[in-house]
Amino acid sequence: MSTLIEAKGLSKSYGSHQALKSVDFKVERGRIVGLVGPNGAGKTTILKAILGLTSYEGDLTVLGMNPERQRHQIMQKVSFIADVAVLPGWLKVANALEFVTEVHPNFNLERAKYFLGKTNISMDAKVKQLSKGMVAQLHLALVMSIEAELLVLDEPTLGLDILYRKEFYNQLLTEFFDEGRSILVTTHQIEEIENLLTDLIFIRDGNIVLNATMDEVTNDYIEVMVSKDNIAQAEALNPVMSRDVFGRKVYLFQGVSREQLEVLGELHSPSVADLFVAKMKEGK
Amino acid sequence: MNSFKALVKREYWENRGSIFLSPAIIAAVLAAIMILGTITGDTFVETHHGEINLWDKFPQAVEEFNNIEEEKRTQAIQISLYAPRILFGFVMMLICLFYCLGSLYDERKDKSILFWKSLPVSDTATVLSKFVSVCFMIPIVYFAVVAAFQVFLLVYGTVLAWFGGSLGVNVWTSSNLFGVLFNSLFSFVVATLWLAPLWAWFMFASAWAKKVAFLWGTLPIFMVAIAEGWIFRSSHFIEMVGERVARGFTTLNSDMHFLVGKDMFDEHYVAKWYEVLGESGFWIGLIVAAGFLAGAIYTRRYRDES
Repeated sequence: MSTLIEAKGLSKSYGSHQALKSVDFKVERGRIVGLVGPNGAGKTTILKAILGLTSYEGDLTVLGMNPERQRHQIMQKVSFIADVAVLPGWLKVANALEFVTEVHPNFNLERAKYFLGKTNISMDAKVKQLSKGMVAQLHLALVMSIEAELLVLDEPTLGLDILYRKEFYNQLLTEFFDEGRSILVTTHQIEEIENLLTDLIFIRDGNIVLNATMDEVTNDYIEVMVSKDNIAQAEALNPVMSRDVFGRKVYLFQGVSREQLEVLGELHSPSVADLFVAKMKEGK
Repeated sequence: MNSFKALVKREYWENRGSIFLSPAIIAAVLAAIMILGTITGDTFVETHHGEINLWDKFPQAVEEFNNIEEEKRTQAIQISLYAPRILFGFVMMLICLFYCLGSLYDERKDKSILFWKSLPVSDTATVLSKFVSVCFMIPIVYFAVVAAFQVFLLVYGTVLAWFGGSLGVNVWTSSNLFGVLFNSLFSFVVATLWLAPLWAWFMFASAWAKKVAFLWGTLPIFMVAIAEGWIFRSSHFIEMVGERVARGFTTLNSDMHFLVGKDMFDEHYVAKWYEVLGESGFWIGLIVAAGFLAGAIYTRRYRDES
């Protein structure tokens, strides 16, 4: 396994506001990493630093290169979709294919045509004539036809309806992702991607508050539905969070053994969304 | 190199309306007016003798045309060929101005800059492709449209000659068409290159502007002029800018100036395109342009809008 992204002491300030407070993380090859955090937590700043779109302090290497100085070379191996709306309205589909073919050494035109053939997008259409979902399909077709080692997605499905959102991630998984590549994705709709992810990074106020593989998360965090009689016992084990569900208490534990918890009630793996809420509330 | 060509092509796709369709439509409308005007002309022309029939006058007119000296005829035909360049040149300069102001601003406004930046194209190549588009691609397209219109004028003249009972061969032999085309092409390109410092400045303003790129491009010019007048009681800066713009137009139309007897423009301001190439002002302009372009490249590369 090789490391695609490595950040050490990555920091960024906008005036007096510290958007990133010296964060460390790695993205290994063959992983799908979810970068999750509330608005303004620093997600987009991290992505921009990786893509060479902003200055930063600290060490950051992407595919062994420095994104501030070697942006141009990095972009031959890195693709990104920032938002569904970024394809310009005047661009014709056929021209988009022609342009990317000519400027991108790792673009496979046949593949792009194959992907577009599965949609209702006409080659003569301009982007402004397409629906939002179709623009996303077009963008995805272009990006999946690039032999990239790293794909960065920043809220790629924002504003799309549910059918397109599901299809978007399904296609990525079946047609693009393999052990040679990695995907780094940020989204507000965590439920949609939690089954895709292999790694999870939570970020809050410019700090990383969780950085683990999904396996570690499932082993480490356990949710227990506790009946009324066992509440005192459960509270004694220092739950990370508790919530009420239909008159019963659900506790989230970190690092407590299954044997200890089994006697309290039914065990579940927490959803990423619940874990996220817990982590964002922690210490507040 | 391939990718640079693709970048210039992209500029054409995005601005096809102003770069190609505008002059093409103007040419088509002019041609239509001329054709319709000729066909229906006899019903409009009235003199104090009463209504006259234009068609009846053709043989007389053509005979007169055939009888004038070769030199005068060449002059008359070439003037009519060069004349459209005044109009098309003016339209082109306006198009270039708005092209430059939008060149690095529109992509930020519609957020497509993030798509362009997701491709392995450097900011230097992108900005230079836009500069090459304004200094070469736009004038060459305008030249081509004007060339087509010039050929139309000759065909039109030939057909008139036919109605007047002549073969119209001298319309072509006196036209020096290839010389006219050659001079047109270089006049268009050299005139836009002469204005390069202005284009580069507008591109820099376009990269810099947060809103209303037009104001960012034009207001500083006036502010510098006002500041100079206030502090030094002089107006060198605005005179320099004015002269630059004026010389752009005179360079574009110098052929016309020399044909009509050198009284179209002030003698001091007019030179043939190859003479302009030999002037230090031309090359200093390109150096100034390089400075503004460097600013535009730097701004596009390191601007962080979040």
